[in-house]
Formats: sequence, C-alpha cells, structure tokens
Amino acid sequence: MEQDSLEKYGLDPHCTMMLEEYREHKDSFNRILEISTGCIKNLLKQNGIMVTAVEGRVKSEKSLAGKLELKGYKYHSLSDITDIIGTRVITFYTDDVDKVAALAENSFDIDWENSVDKRKMHQLDSFGYMSLHYICRIPKSMYFDEAHPEINTTRFEVQLRTTLQHMWANMDHDCGYKGEVEIPREHLRNMIRLAGVLELADDEFSRIRTAVNDYRRQVQSLVAGGKFSQVLLDVDTFRSYLNMKPFDKLNRRIAAINQAEIHDASLMPYLRMFKYLGFKTLGDIENLKKESSDDAYQLATLEIGGTDLDIISATVALQDLCIVHILKSGSGEDGLAAFFDELNGPSDYNRKRAQRLVEKCARLPFMNKKK
Amino acid sequence: MKVTINQDGNKFNVILEGRLDTTNADQFQKDIEPLMNGDKPEITLDCKAMEYTSSQGLRMFLMLQKSVNSRGGSMVMTDMNPQVKEVFDITGFSNIIKII
Repeated sequence: MEQDSLEKYGLDPHCTMMLEEYREHKDSFNRILEISTGCIKNLLKQNGIMVTAVEGRVKSEKSLAGKLELKGYKYHSLSDITDIIGTRVITFYTDDVDKVAALAENSFDIDWENSVDKRKMHQLDSFGYMSLHYICRIPKSMYFDEAHPEINTTRFEVQLRTTLQHMWANMDHDCGYKGEVEIPREHLRNMIRLAGVLELADDEFSRIRTAVNDYRRQVQSLVAGGKFSQVLLDVDTFRSYLNMKPFDKLNRRIAAINQAEIHDASLMPYLRMFKYLGFKTLGDIENLKKESSDDAYQLATLEIGGTDLDIISATVALQDLCIVHILKSGSGEDGLAAFFDELNGPSDYNRKRAQRLVEKCARLPFMNKKK
Repeated sequence: MKVTINQDGNKFNVILEGRLDTTNADQFQKDIEPLMNGDKPEITLDCKAMEYTSSQGLRMFLMLQKSVNSRGGSMVMTDMNPQVKEVFDITGFSNIIKII
C-alpha cells in the first residue's frame, strides 16, 4: 500500500533518499521491534513485574515523512533517527521504571550518549514530561542473523514511564502540539501544575506500596515466629497463617476415625466466619485450636464415627472447631443456627441442624465441663 | 439411583431419585456423562427424591463440581432431605458444594 511514489510527500532529495532507505529496511525494523518487545515482555514476566502495558510500533512512513519535512536537515542518514522503532513500557510505580531500566541495561546495548532521563532534566521549580528514554541495539548474544547484520546495528528507542506520566504526556501532546490554535498560557500553566500533582501522586503510590510490603514482611515474620497474638486477622495474615497448614493435624486426626481421604479445599471462606465470631487476631484462632482441638475431634468422632463415610473435606477441622467454640461460649442453638446461616446461607434446615447438634453434643465432655 | 436429565441449552435440570452408593456409582457416572461436556453449563441437581448418598456418591458430586468449574459453569444441589444433607454437613462437603 505504501509502495507508491515518494514524491507525494514533496520532500527534498536527501529526505526522499532516507524514506527510500526506510522502505528497504521496513522488514528488519519490524523484526527488531518483535525481538525487543518480546525480550522486554519476557523479562517482566521472569522478574514478576506487573505493568500497565508494553506497547511497540515501527514509525509509519507518513509519520516519518512528516518528521523529515520538519527537521530532515538535522539527519545525515536514516540511522541518525533513533525513534523509528519504539517500545514503551508503562509501569504502575516509579520504582518499577528503574527496575525495568536495569533489566533493559542488562539486556540491550545502550547508546548512553543519546539516552536521556527526562525525569532528571527538570529544574527545581519546573514540572512536566517525565520519561526515561533508552536508545538501544540488540546485542549479538541475544539475536544474530548473518543475512541481516542491520538487526544488531539499528538503534531503537525504549521509553519507560509510569501510568500517570503516560497520561500526562498524552494530554500534553494533545494540548500542546496537535492543533494549529495556540493554547492560552492559563491552560498550559494548568497542565504544568498537574504534572506536579501527578509526580506527587506517583511518589505517594510508591511510598504506600513500600509501606504495605514492609507490613506484609513484618506480618509474615510474626506469623513465622509464632507471635500470632500480635497479628491482626485479615486476608493477607490469614493466608500466611494457612500456608503453615495449621489445621492439617486435626484434619488427619479426624480422617483417621474412618480411614478417610481428605479432599483439599480452600479455607479462606472461614476468614469471614472468624470475623463473624469476633476473632481479632491470629492468636485468637491459635488459642481456639489449642484449647478446642480435642473437643472438635470428639465432635467429629460423634458425627462420622458411626458412619462408613471415608472422604472428608479439609474444611471439617475448622467447621468443627467453630461449632465447639459456639457451644462452649454458651451461644447454643441460636448461635449455631446463626453461624450456619452465615456460613451456608439462611435456611430452615440450619435451625434443625443446630438443634440436632446441641442434643448430640450434650453428651460430650466439653459440654459437661462447661456446666 | 434414577437420573433424569432435562436440558434447555446450557441449563440442565437433573432429577435424582433413590440411593447412591458403591453398587450403582459406576452407573451413575455413566448417567451423568451428558453433564460432563459443553461450556458454561448451569446445572441444578434436584435432590428431593434422593434417599441416601455414600462416600462414593460424594466423590461423584465432587467430580462433577470440578468438571463444571473447569468449564466456567455452575452447579447447585436443591431440596436435599435432612438425612442426605447431614452427610454433606458432617464431611464438610456443604462448605465446598453449593446447596440450597
């Protein structure tokens, strides 16, 4: 489609020659884009870095012609134009821009002379475009094709920026360069003020992430150290706790009653139930486990001991511990019925099950101890 | 165990009648084969007339539940009599299979 005459762009002979060269090398440009973008995506995956997007493009002939029309005089040859092939990585956090940059440095040959960190170019009292631009080449160690040595010599650009920086850059481009109408100073000033706000927001996002990660590490350390009473009950802490398989022993004990197999199941829904029961810390759960495991085992023996059921869900230990807790706390039939309504959804059956359990458990030692 | 499957598109209303145990679990597995294929099935197991399920029956329901989950569908068991429901409760299966 683009293989028509280049004269339509009305460029001087020098620029027209560069466009011809562009056409000749278009396939190589696409190949370089494919290799560089693929490499970056792999690196992100291997290093567990989540990003908003990885975008790549080879500049279109029309766009290149436009660039040459405006400043073709600056370039001696096509190889002087470093943004014909461009990959952009848009991260969530400012810290991740530096992480991805380090990965790019280790993977590509960087043309440091032409790379620029726009984030560091602002004066103390100025705000605006913030991106890290690396001009790179594909090293032979990554890819080499004897028939296409230009793949290793052609430079391409990697732009790294946060989502907020990306948003600002797009808005700024729309406001500043798109139209022919000159934008009033007031609007440009507002854009620059916004850049300052977004810079603060980016820093704040990073700060919050660091604080949350520090908290997670601290909690994991407390959990690993068995300091459960200092750990508030939430999704993260409960998950860390469950990673220690705290109910496996009781489940195995219960399974042994009928030589049953244990079907693995998520215990996370019980976080909601512990909160419903008023548990505040992992220590509360740990205390329940210590104080009531024998009682829960007695309950399980009463329930499945007289049957030939030889499969149980991994939720049984927790379910029985909660039932014992409710009965020992004196909440009785009402407490149990409300618990089952919360756990499995409201039904008349839950009341009957609660009644049955209260009657059955009256024979168990822990109920008599309470009395 | 008698299994009657009524299908309307991806919706299956399955009526279960009688006892499900080791003696008829293999037949049950064959009977529910039509439920093991197709995307996003919405399966309702009507248990009003189901009299009993053994461990083998629980395994069958578990197998069906896993198959349904892997195909992005849903499965619900309804109208269980108290004796059958008790089996699901004391084994913890009522925590992992939706019963209404």
